[in-house]
Amino acid sequence: MRRWLFLLCLTLLGAGCASRQVVVDGNFPSPLLDPLPVTLGVIYPQAFAEHEFFDEAKGRAETDWLVKTGEAQVTFWDNIFSGMFDEVVHIRDWQTVQNRGADIDGVIIPAISDLQYTIPTHTNVKIYEIWMRYDFRLVDISAIHRQEDGALTFNPDERLAAWPITAYGKTPTAFLQTDEEAVNLAAVVALRDAGAHFITTFGATPDIAVWLDGIASGARANDPMPTPGKLEEPVPVIEEENQGSDMPEETDGQATTATLDDSGLDATTPEGRS
Amino acid sequence: MWGSAGRSLIGPASALLSTVLLGGCVSATVDEMTYNEPVAGIGESSVVILGRRHAPDYDTEFDFIECIGDHIHSGDPSIEVINEIAFINQFYPWFEPRTAPMQPQTIDRLLELPIVANQFAEMKLEYMIWIDGKTVDTDSVGSMSCGIGPGVAGCFGFGTWGTESEYEATIWDFTDKIEVGKVSAVTSGQSYMPAVIVPIPIIAPVQGTACDSLGDQLLEYLSAHH
Repeated sequence: MRRWLFLLCLTLLGAGCASRQVVVDGNFPSPLLDPLPVTLGVIYPQAFAEHEFFDEAKGRAETDWLVKTGEAQVTFWDNIFSGMFDEVVHIRDWQTVQNRGADIDGVIIPAISDLQYTIPTHTNVKIYEIWMRYDFRLVDISAIHRQEDGALTFNPDERLAAWPITAYGKTPTAFLQTDEEAVNLAAVVALRDAGAHFITTFGATPDIAVWLDGIASGARANDPMPTPGKLEEPVPVIEEENQGSDMPEETDGQATTATLDDSGLDATTPEGRS
Repeated sequence: MWGSAGRSLIGPASALLSTVLLGGCVSATVDEMTYNEPVAGIGESSVVILGRRHAPDYDTEFDFIECIGDHIHSGDPSIEVINEIAFINQFYPWFEPRTAPMQPQTIDRLLELPIVANQFAEMKLEYMIWIDGKTVDTDSVGSMSCGIGPGVAGCFGFGTWGTESEYEATIWDFTDKIEVGKVSAVTSGQSYMPAVIVPIPIIAPVQGTACDSLGDQLLEYLSAHH
Protein backbone atom coordinates (compact mmCIF):
# COMPACT_ATOMS: atom_id res chain seq x y z
CA MET A 1 0.00 0.00 0.00
CA ARG A 2 2.83 2.38 0.92
CA ARG A 3 4.53 1.58 -2.35
CA TRP A 4 1.42 2.52 -4.34
CA LEU A 5 1.03 5.70 -2.33
CA PHE A 6 4.64 6.60 -3.02
CA LEU A 7 4.17 5.95 -6.75
CA LEU A 8 1.00 8.07 -6.78
CA CYS A 9 2.81 10.96 -5.09
CA LEU A 10 5.70 10.61 -7.53
CA THR A 11 3.32 10.68 -10.48
CA LEU A 12 1.54 13.76 -9.17
CA LEU A 13 4.84 15.52 -8.55
CA GLY A 14 6.09 14.56 -11.99
CA ALA A 15 2.89 15.78 -13.62
CA GLY A 16 3.42 19.18 -12.06
CA CYS A 17 6.90 19.45 -13.56
CA ALA A 18 6.16 17.85 -16.94
CA SER A 19 7.46 19.72 -19.95
CA ARG A 20 5.31 20.46 -22.96
CA GLN A 21 6.59 19.78 -26.44
CA VAL A 22 5.12 20.93 -29.74
CA VAL A 23 6.41 19.83 -33.12
CA VAL A 24 4.75 22.37 -35.39
CA ASP A 25 2.72 20.70 -38.09
CA GLY A 26 0.26 22.12 -40.58
CA ASN A 27 -0.99 22.12 -44.14
CA PHE A 28 0.18 25.14 -46.04
CA PRO A 29 -1.49 26.37 -49.23
CA SER A 30 0.47 27.35 -52.32
CA PRO A 31 0.49 31.10 -52.90
CA LEU A 32 -1.75 32.41 -55.66
CA LEU A 33 0.83 34.31 -57.67
CA ASP A 34 2.27 34.63 -61.12
CA PRO A 35 5.82 33.38 -60.48
CA LEU A 36 8.68 35.80 -61.03
CA PRO A 37 10.98 34.83 -63.91
CA VAL A 38 13.79 34.07 -61.51
CA THR A 39 15.83 30.99 -60.73
CA LEU A 40 16.34 31.16 -56.99
CA GLY A 41 18.86 29.22 -54.99
CA VAL A 42 17.82 28.42 -51.42
CA ILE A 43 20.01 27.47 -48.51
CA TYR A 44 18.41 26.49 -45.23
CA PRO A 45 21.13 26.73 -42.58
CA GLN A 46 21.14 23.91 -40.05
CA ALA A 47 19.96 26.17 -37.24
CA PHE A 48 16.98 27.21 -39.38
CA ALA A 49 16.05 23.75 -40.58
CA GLU A 50 16.27 22.37 -37.06
CA HIS A 51 14.98 25.44 -35.31
CA GLU A 52 13.46 24.94 -31.91
CA PHE A 53 12.56 27.22 -29.08
CA PHE A 54 12.97 26.19 -25.47
CA ASP A 55 11.46 28.13 -22.59
CA GLU A 56 12.39 26.95 -19.14
CA ALA A 57 9.77 27.11 -16.40
CA LYS A 58 10.34 30.06 -14.09
CA GLY A 59 8.39 28.67 -11.18
CA ARG A 60 6.68 25.56 -9.88
CA ALA A 61 3.39 26.67 -11.36
CA GLU A 62 4.87 26.81 -14.87
CA THR A 63 6.11 24.10 -17.19
CA ASP A 64 8.99 23.92 -19.64
CA TRP A 65 8.03 24.47 -23.26
CA LEU A 66 9.85 23.15 -26.30
CA VAL A 67 8.49 24.34 -29.63
CA LYS A 68 10.12 22.71 -32.67
CA THR A 69 9.41 24.71 -35.81
CA GLY A 70 12.30 23.64 -38.08
CA GLU A 71 10.60 21.01 -40.19
CA ALA A 72 7.48 23.15 -40.65
CA GLN A 73 9.67 26.13 -41.58
CA VAL A 74 11.36 24.22 -44.38
CA THR A 75 8.08 22.80 -45.68
CA PHE A 76 6.41 26.19 -45.53
CA TRP A 77 9.17 28.24 -47.16
CA ASP A 78 9.69 25.62 -49.88
CA ASN A 79 6.04 26.11 -50.69
CA ILE A 80 6.32 29.89 -50.73
CA PHE A 81 9.47 30.03 -52.84
CA SER A 82 8.12 27.47 -55.31
CA GLY A 83 5.03 29.61 -55.81
CA MET A 84 6.92 32.89 -56.07
CA PHE A 85 9.72 31.96 -58.45
CA ASP A 86 9.96 30.13 -61.76
CA GLU A 87 12.52 27.69 -60.43
CA VAL A 88 13.92 26.94 -57.00
CA VAL A 89 17.25 25.17 -56.57
CA HIS A 90 18.11 23.76 -53.16
CA ILE A 91 21.79 24.30 -52.59
CA ARG A 92 23.07 21.69 -50.21
CA ASP A 93 26.53 20.96 -51.52
CA TRP A 94 29.32 22.48 -53.57
CA GLN A 95 28.43 20.29 -56.55
CA THR A 96 25.07 22.02 -56.86
CA VAL A 97 26.83 25.38 -56.79
CA GLN A 98 29.11 24.30 -59.60
CA ASN A 99 26.48 22.56 -61.71
CA ARG A 100 23.66 25.08 -61.37
CA GLY A 101 25.53 28.24 -60.48
CA ALA A 102 25.27 29.72 -63.95
CA ASP A 103 21.46 29.46 -63.89
CA ILE A 104 20.90 30.83 -60.42
CA ASP A 105 19.98 34.52 -60.20
CA GLY A 106 20.40 34.77 -56.45
CA VAL A 107 20.55 32.69 -53.32
CA ILE A 108 18.21 33.31 -50.43
CA ILE A 109 19.25 32.35 -46.91
CA PRO A 110 16.60 32.62 -44.18
CA ALA A 111 17.29 32.77 -40.47
CA ILE A 112 15.07 33.05 -37.40
CA SER A 113 16.45 35.70 -35.09
CA ASP A 114 13.71 35.65 -32.45
CA LEU A 115 10.64 33.71 -31.40
CA GLN A 116 8.36 34.57 -28.51
CA TYR A 117 5.15 32.98 -27.34
CA THR A 118 2.47 33.55 -24.74
CA ILE A 119 -0.18 31.23 -23.40
CA PRO A 120 -3.19 32.13 -21.25
CA THR A 121 -1.42 31.12 -18.03
CA HIS A 122 1.21 33.79 -18.77
CA THR A 123 -1.14 36.64 -19.56
CA ASN A 124 -4.60 35.75 -18.22
CA VAL A 125 -5.87 36.55 -21.71
CA LYS A 126 -7.60 33.71 -23.49
CA ILE A 127 -5.28 33.83 -26.47
CA TYR A 128 -2.22 31.83 -27.50
CA GLU A 129 0.31 33.90 -29.42
CA ILE A 130 3.52 33.29 -31.36
CA TRP A 131 5.73 36.09 -32.64
CA MET A 132 8.70 35.48 -34.92
CA ARG A 133 11.35 37.59 -36.51
CA TYR A 134 13.24 36.41 -39.58
CA ASP A 135 16.40 37.77 -41.12
CA PHE A 136 16.54 37.08 -44.84
CA ARG A 137 19.69 37.49 -46.86
CA LEU A 138 19.98 37.40 -50.61
CA VAL A 139 23.44 36.79 -52.02
CA ASP A 140 24.85 36.14 -55.43
CA ILE A 141 25.92 32.58 -56.14
CA SER A 142 29.51 33.85 -56.34
CA ALA A 143 29.34 34.72 -52.64
CA ILE A 144 28.95 31.04 -51.74
CA HIS A 145 32.29 29.45 -50.94
CA ARG A 146 33.49 26.06 -49.88
CA GLN A 147 35.65 25.44 -46.86
CA GLU A 148 38.34 22.79 -46.73
CA ASP A 149 36.02 20.41 -44.91
CA GLY A 150 33.41 20.80 -47.65
CA ALA A 151 31.07 23.02 -45.67
CA LEU A 152 29.49 25.91 -47.55
CA THR A 153 30.07 29.44 -46.35
CA PHE A 154 29.01 32.84 -47.47
CA ASN A 155 30.21 36.28 -46.62
CA PRO A 156 27.27 38.43 -45.50
CA ASP A 157 29.12 41.49 -46.74
CA GLU A 158 28.73 40.21 -50.25
CA ARG A 159 24.99 40.29 -49.95
CA LEU A 160 22.63 41.70 -52.53
CA ALA A 161 19.99 42.42 -49.92
CA ALA A 162 19.20 41.81 -46.27
CA TRP A 163 15.86 42.47 -44.71
CA PRO A 164 13.83 41.44 -41.67
CA ILE A 165 10.35 39.95 -41.69
CA THR A 166 8.16 39.78 -38.62
CA ALA A 167 5.25 37.43 -38.21
CA TYR A 168 2.48 37.06 -35.68
CA GLY A 169 0.00 34.32 -35.07
CA LYS A 170 -2.70 33.96 -32.48
CA THR A 171 -5.51 31.63 -31.69
CA PRO A 172 -8.16 31.91 -29.01
CA THR A 173 -8.80 29.25 -26.44
CA ALA A 174 -11.25 26.65 -27.62
CA PHE A 175 -13.28 23.95 -25.97
CA LEU A 176 -11.46 20.61 -25.81
CA GLN A 177 -8.28 22.13 -27.24
CA THR A 178 -5.02 21.37 -25.46
CA ASP A 179 -2.27 23.93 -24.90
CA GLU A 180 -0.08 22.04 -27.37
CA GLU A 181 -2.73 22.10 -30.09
CA ALA A 182 -3.32 25.80 -29.55
CA VAL A 183 0.40 26.67 -29.67
CA ASN A 184 0.73 24.61 -32.85
CA LEU A 185 -2.20 26.46 -34.41
CA ALA A 186 -0.75 29.83 -33.40
CA ALA A 187 2.58 28.82 -34.97
CA VAL A 188 0.86 27.79 -38.20
CA VAL A 189 -0.96 31.15 -38.29
CA ALA A 190 2.37 32.90 -37.66
CA LEU A 191 4.01 31.00 -40.52
CA ARG A 192 1.17 31.96 -42.85
CA ASP A 193 1.55 35.55 -41.72
CA ALA A 194 5.29 35.39 -42.38
CA GLY A 195 4.60 34.19 -45.91
CA ALA A 196 2.02 36.92 -46.48
CA HIS A 197 4.44 39.54 -45.17
CA PHE A 198 7.29 38.19 -47.30
CA ILE A 199 5.25 38.06 -50.49
CA THR A 200 3.68 41.49 -50.13
CA THR A 201 6.93 43.30 -49.27
CA PHE A 202 9.42 41.38 -51.40
CA GLY A 203 9.37 43.59 -54.49
CA ALA A 204 9.07 46.75 -52.43
CA THR A 205 12.36 46.20 -50.61
CA PRO A 206 14.75 48.64 -52.35
CA ASP A 207 17.70 46.28 -52.78
CA ILE A 208 15.40 43.52 -54.01
CA ALA A 209 13.83 45.91 -56.51
CA VAL A 210 17.31 46.73 -57.87
CA TRP A 211 18.10 43.02 -58.10
CA LEU A 212 14.85 42.27 -59.92
CA ASP A 213 15.40 45.17 -62.30
CA GLY A 214 18.85 43.77 -63.05
CA ILE A 215 17.38 40.37 -63.88
CA ALA A 216 14.66 41.92 -66.00
CA SER A 217 17.23 43.90 -67.97
CA GLY A 218 19.24 40.74 -68.55
CA ALA A 219 22.20 41.63 -66.37
CA ARG A 220 23.35 39.24 -63.68
CA ALA A 221 23.96 40.99 -60.42
CA ASN A 222 27.47 39.71 -59.94
CA ASP A 223 28.69 42.78 -58.14
CA PRO A 224 27.58 42.63 -54.55
CA MET A 225 26.81 45.78 -52.65
CA PRO A 226 29.97 47.21 -51.13
CA THR A 227 29.79 47.44 -47.36
CA PRO A 228 32.29 48.96 -44.96
CA GLY A 229 34.58 46.96 -42.77
CA LYS A 230 34.90 43.89 -44.98
CA LEU A 231 37.40 41.43 -43.61
CA GLU A 232 39.76 39.44 -45.75
CA GLU A 233 39.36 36.27 -43.72
CA PRO A 234 35.93 34.73 -43.27
CA VAL A 235 34.90 34.09 -39.70
CA PRO A 236 32.55 31.19 -38.89
CA VAL A 237 29.72 32.50 -36.77
CA ILE A 238 27.35 29.67 -36.01
CA GLU A 239 26.19 30.19 -32.48
CA GLU A 240 25.16 26.76 -31.47
CA GLU A 241 24.27 27.79 -27.93
CA ASN A 242 21.83 30.43 -29.11
CA GLN A 243 18.95 28.40 -30.45
CA GLY A 244 16.90 31.39 -31.46
CA SER A 245 19.48 32.90 -33.77
CA ASP A 246 21.56 31.11 -36.32
CA MET A 247 23.08 34.21 -37.84
CA PRO A 248 23.89 36.94 -35.37
CA GLU A 249 23.57 40.60 -36.16
CA GLU A 250 26.57 42.22 -37.69
CA THR A 251 28.50 44.65 -35.59
CA ASP A 252 29.82 47.94 -36.88
CA GLY A 253 33.01 47.61 -38.78
CA GLN A 254 33.13 43.86 -38.50
CA ALA A 255 32.03 41.46 -41.14
CA THR A 256 31.22 37.83 -40.61
CA THR A 257 30.86 34.71 -42.66
CA ALA A 258 28.19 32.16 -41.96
CA THR A 259 29.04 28.48 -42.13
CA LEU A 260 26.34 26.36 -43.69
CA ASP A 261 26.63 22.93 -42.21
CA ASP A 262 26.33 20.27 -44.90
CA SER A 263 25.07 17.62 -42.56
CA GLY A 264 22.28 19.83 -41.34
CA LEU A 265 21.24 20.73 -44.86
CA ASP A 266 21.25 17.14 -46.01
CA ALA A 267 18.77 16.23 -43.33
CA THR A 268 16.29 18.83 -44.43
CA THR A 269 16.24 18.84 -48.18
CA PRO A 270 12.91 17.93 -49.73
CA GLU A 271 14.40 14.68 -50.98
CA GLY A 272 15.50 13.85 -47.49
CA ARG A 273 12.11 14.30 -45.93
CA SER A 274 9.45 11.67 -46.05
CA MET B 1 -62.85 14.50 -22.98
CA TRP B 2 -61.19 16.20 -20.08
CA GLY B 3 -58.57 13.51 -19.95
CA SER B 4 -57.83 13.96 -23.60
CA ALA B 5 -57.48 17.75 -23.26
CA GLY B 6 -55.25 17.25 -20.24
CA ARG B 7 -52.92 14.95 -22.16
CA SER B 8 -52.78 17.34 -25.11
CA LEU B 9 -51.76 20.18 -22.80
CA ILE B 10 -49.17 18.12 -20.94
CA GLY B 11 -47.15 17.53 -24.13
CA PRO B 12 -46.50 21.18 -25.05
CA ALA B 13 -46.15 22.15 -21.39
CA SER B 14 -43.45 19.57 -20.78
CA ALA B 15 -41.69 20.58 -23.99
CA LEU B 16 -41.78 24.21 -22.88
CA LEU B 17 -40.53 23.27 -19.44
CA SER B 18 -37.67 21.25 -20.88
CA THR B 19 -36.75 24.11 -23.20
CA VAL B 20 -36.70 26.55 -20.31
CA LEU B 21 -34.76 24.13 -18.13
CA LEU B 22 -32.19 22.96 -20.67
CA GLY B 23 -31.72 26.26 -22.44
CA GLY B 24 -31.26 29.51 -20.56
CA CYS B 25 -32.99 32.70 -21.69
CA VAL B 26 -31.45 34.69 -24.53
CA SER B 27 -32.30 38.17 -25.69
CA ALA B 28 -31.37 39.34 -29.16
CA THR B 29 -31.27 42.72 -30.90
CA VAL B 30 -30.85 42.85 -34.66
CA ASP B 31 -30.20 45.94 -36.76
CA GLU B 32 -30.24 45.99 -40.52
CA MET B 33 -29.39 48.58 -43.12
CA THR B 34 -29.14 47.28 -46.69
CA TYR B 35 -29.26 48.72 -50.20
CA ASN B 36 -29.58 47.38 -53.74
CA GLU B 37 -31.22 44.15 -52.70
CA PRO B 38 -31.06 41.53 -55.48
CA VAL B 39 -34.83 41.12 -55.84
CA ALA B 40 -34.48 38.20 -58.23
CA GLY B 41 -31.90 36.51 -56.04
CA ILE B 42 -28.26 35.95 -56.96
CA GLY B 43 -28.88 33.31 -59.62
CA GLU B 44 -25.87 31.11 -60.30
CA SER B 45 -23.46 33.45 -58.59
CA SER B 46 -21.84 32.58 -55.31
CA VAL B 47 -21.33 34.15 -51.91
CA VAL B 48 -18.41 33.93 -49.56
CA ILE B 49 -18.64 34.69 -45.84
CA LEU B 50 -15.38 35.62 -44.15
CA GLY B 51 -14.46 36.38 -40.55
CA ARG B 52 -12.37 39.37 -39.53
CA ARG B 53 -9.29 38.33 -37.55
CA HIS B 54 -7.10 41.39 -37.40
CA ALA B 55 -8.11 42.59 -33.92
CA PRO B 56 -5.46 42.03 -31.24
CA ASP B 57 -7.73 40.50 -28.61
CA TYR B 58 -10.16 38.28 -30.49
CA ASP B 59 -10.80 36.34 -33.67
CA THR B 60 -14.20 35.93 -35.24
CA GLU B 61 -14.80 32.22 -34.77
CA PHE B 62 -14.51 29.91 -37.79
CA ASP B 63 -17.42 27.80 -36.56
CA PHE B 64 -19.63 30.87 -36.32
CA ILE B 65 -18.92 31.69 -39.97
CA GLU B 66 -19.69 28.10 -40.89
CA CYS B 67 -22.94 28.28 -38.92
CA ILE B 68 -24.11 31.34 -40.87
CA GLY B 69 -23.15 29.74 -44.18
CA ASP B 70 -25.08 26.59 -43.29
CA HIS B 71 -28.07 28.68 -42.18
CA ILE B 72 -28.20 30.54 -45.50
CA HIS B 73 -27.69 27.43 -47.62
CA SER B 74 -30.31 25.46 -45.71
CA GLY B 75 -32.77 28.37 -46.04
CA ASP B 76 -32.24 28.59 -49.79
CA PRO B 77 -30.26 25.69 -51.31
CA SER B 78 -29.90 27.60 -54.57
CA ILE B 79 -27.45 29.99 -52.89
CA GLU B 80 -23.92 28.67 -53.16
CA VAL B 81 -21.93 29.65 -50.08
CA ILE B 82 -18.20 29.08 -50.52
CA ASN B 83 -16.42 27.46 -47.57
CA GLU B 84 -14.37 30.07 -45.75
CA ILE B 85 -11.22 28.03 -45.10
CA ALA B 86 -11.17 26.69 -48.65
CA PHE B 87 -11.52 30.25 -49.97
CA ILE B 88 -8.74 31.64 -47.77
CA ASN B 89 -6.42 28.80 -48.78
CA GLN B 90 -7.28 29.16 -52.44
CA PHE B 91 -6.47 32.87 -52.38
CA TYR B 92 -3.47 32.68 -50.04
CA PRO B 93 -1.94 35.12 -49.10
CA TRP B 94 -4.52 37.76 -50.09
CA PHE B 95 -7.10 37.14 -47.36
CA GLU B 96 -4.83 36.65 -44.35
CA PRO B 97 -5.39 38.98 -41.35
CA ARG B 98 -2.45 41.11 -42.54
CA THR B 99 -3.54 41.38 -46.17
CA ALA B 100 -7.34 41.10 -46.23
CA PRO B 101 -9.01 44.08 -47.91
CA MET B 102 -10.67 46.41 -45.42
CA GLN B 103 -12.62 48.43 -48.01
CA PRO B 104 -14.43 47.12 -51.08
CA GLN B 105 -12.57 49.58 -53.30
CA THR B 106 -9.25 47.89 -52.53
CA ILE B 107 -10.39 44.72 -54.27
CA ASP B 108 -9.46 46.41 -57.54
CA ARG B 109 -5.82 46.23 -56.50
CA LEU B 110 -6.16 42.50 -56.02
CA LEU B 111 -7.78 42.13 -59.42
CA GLU B 112 -4.70 43.67 -61.02
CA LEU B 113 -3.08 40.27 -60.48
CA PRO B 114 -4.27 38.24 -63.48
CA ILE B 115 -4.15 34.91 -61.67
CA VAL B 116 -6.32 36.28 -58.86
CA ALA B 117 -8.75 37.92 -61.27
CA ASN B 118 -9.12 34.63 -63.18
CA GLN B 119 -9.91 32.73 -59.99
CA PHE B 120 -12.59 35.23 -59.04
CA ALA B 121 -14.08 35.07 -62.53
CA GLU B 122 -14.28 31.27 -62.37
CA MET B 123 -15.91 31.47 -58.99
CA LYS B 124 -18.66 33.87 -60.16
CA LEU B 125 -18.49 35.62 -56.83
CA GLU B 126 -21.30 38.13 -56.40
CA TYR B 127 -21.20 38.99 -52.70
CA MET B 128 -18.45 38.99 -50.11
CA ILE B 129 -19.77 39.18 -46.56
CA TRP B 130 -17.42 40.08 -43.72
CA ILE B 131 -18.39 39.12 -40.19
CA ASP B 132 -16.68 40.86 -37.30
CA GLY B 133 -17.41 40.02 -33.68
CA LYS B 134 -17.07 37.57 -30.87
CA THR B 135 -18.83 35.67 -28.13
CA VAL B 136 -17.52 36.05 -24.60
CA ASP B 137 -18.45 34.78 -21.18
CA THR B 138 -19.04 37.57 -18.70
CA ASP B 139 -19.46 37.55 -14.95
CA SER B 140 -19.88 34.21 -13.23
CA VAL B 141 -21.03 33.50 -9.68
CA GLY B 142 -21.71 30.49 -7.51
CA SER B 143 -19.72 27.56 -6.31
CA MET B 144 -19.77 23.85 -6.69
CA SER B 145 -17.89 21.10 -4.96
CA CYS B 146 -17.46 17.56 -6.11
CA GLY B 147 -16.28 14.58 -4.16
CA ILE B 148 -15.47 10.96 -4.70
CA GLY B 149 -15.40 8.16 -2.18
CA PRO B 150 -15.59 4.38 -2.10
CA GLY B 151 -18.69 3.57 -4.12
CA VAL B 152 -20.05 7.09 -4.22
CA ALA B 153 -19.35 10.26 -6.16
CA GLY B 154 -21.24 13.46 -6.70
CA CYS B 155 -21.37 17.25 -6.83
CA PHE B 156 -23.34 19.83 -4.95
CA GLY B 157 -23.70 23.53 -5.60
CA PHE B 158 -24.90 26.08 -8.10
CA GLY B 159 -23.14 28.20 -10.69
CA THR B 160 -24.31 30.80 -13.18
CA TRP B 161 -22.57 32.85 -15.83
CA GLY B 162 -23.48 35.29 -18.55
CA THR B 163 -22.59 35.12 -22.23
CA GLU B 164 -22.65 37.96 -24.74
CA SER B 165 -22.33 37.90 -28.51
CA GLU B 166 -21.85 40.89 -30.72
CA TYR B 167 -21.45 40.47 -34.47
CA GLU B 168 -21.67 42.76 -37.46
CA ALA B 169 -21.97 41.57 -41.04
CA THR B 170 -20.83 43.89 -43.82
CA ILE B 171 -22.03 43.02 -47.30
CA TRP B 172 -19.86 43.93 -50.28
CA ASP B 173 -21.19 43.83 -53.82
CA PHE B 174 -18.23 42.20 -55.52
CA THR B 175 -19.23 43.31 -59.03
CA ASP B 176 -19.57 47.00 -58.27
CA LYS B 177 -16.99 47.02 -55.44
CA ILE B 178 -19.31 48.82 -53.07
CA GLU B 179 -20.70 48.19 -49.64
CA VAL B 180 -24.40 47.41 -49.90
CA GLY B 181 -25.39 46.80 -46.32
CA LYS B 182 -24.69 46.10 -42.71
CA VAL B 183 -26.49 43.74 -40.38
CA SER B 184 -25.67 43.46 -36.71
CA ALA B 185 -26.84 41.14 -33.97
CA VAL B 186 -26.29 41.57 -30.25
CA THR B 187 -27.39 38.69 -28.05
CA SER B 188 -26.94 37.91 -24.41
CA GLY B 189 -28.06 35.22 -22.05
CA GLN B 190 -27.57 33.62 -18.69
CA SER B 191 -26.56 30.00 -18.22
CA TYR B 192 -27.04 27.96 -15.03
CA MET B 193 -25.54 24.82 -13.62
CA PRO B 194 -27.29 23.41 -10.55
CA ALA B 195 -25.75 20.26 -9.13
CA VAL B 196 -27.35 17.81 -6.76
CA ILE B 197 -25.18 14.73 -7.18
CA VAL B 198 -25.16 15.26 -10.95
CA PRO B 199 -24.46 18.72 -12.48
CA ILE B 200 -27.19 19.75 -14.91
CA PRO B 201 -25.97 22.42 -17.36
CA ILE B 202 -28.68 24.79 -18.60
CA ILE B 203 -26.82 26.56 -21.36
CA ALA B 204 -28.14 29.72 -23.02
CA PRO B 205 -27.62 29.33 -26.78
CA VAL B 206 -26.28 32.86 -27.18
CA GLN B 207 -23.97 32.31 -30.13
CA GLY B 208 -26.51 30.06 -31.85
CA THR B 209 -29.15 32.78 -31.55
CA ALA B 210 -26.74 35.34 -32.99
CA CYS B 211 -26.05 32.94 -35.87
CA ASP B 212 -29.77 32.44 -36.55
CA SER B 213 -30.48 36.17 -36.29
CA LEU B 214 -27.72 37.22 -38.67
CA GLY B 215 -28.36 34.25 -40.94
CA ASP B 216 -32.07 35.13 -41.25
CA GLN B 217 -31.31 38.73 -42.20
CA LEU B 218 -28.66 37.76 -44.73
CA LEU B 219 -30.93 35.11 -46.18
CA GLU B 220 -33.67 37.69 -46.56
CA TYR B 221 -31.26 39.94 -48.42
CA LEU B 222 -29.75 37.32 -50.72
CA SER B 223 -32.69 35.04 -51.47
CA ALA B 224 -35.55 35.68 -53.85
CA HIS B 225 -37.74 33.33 -51.84
CA HIS B 226 -37.59 35.07 -48.47
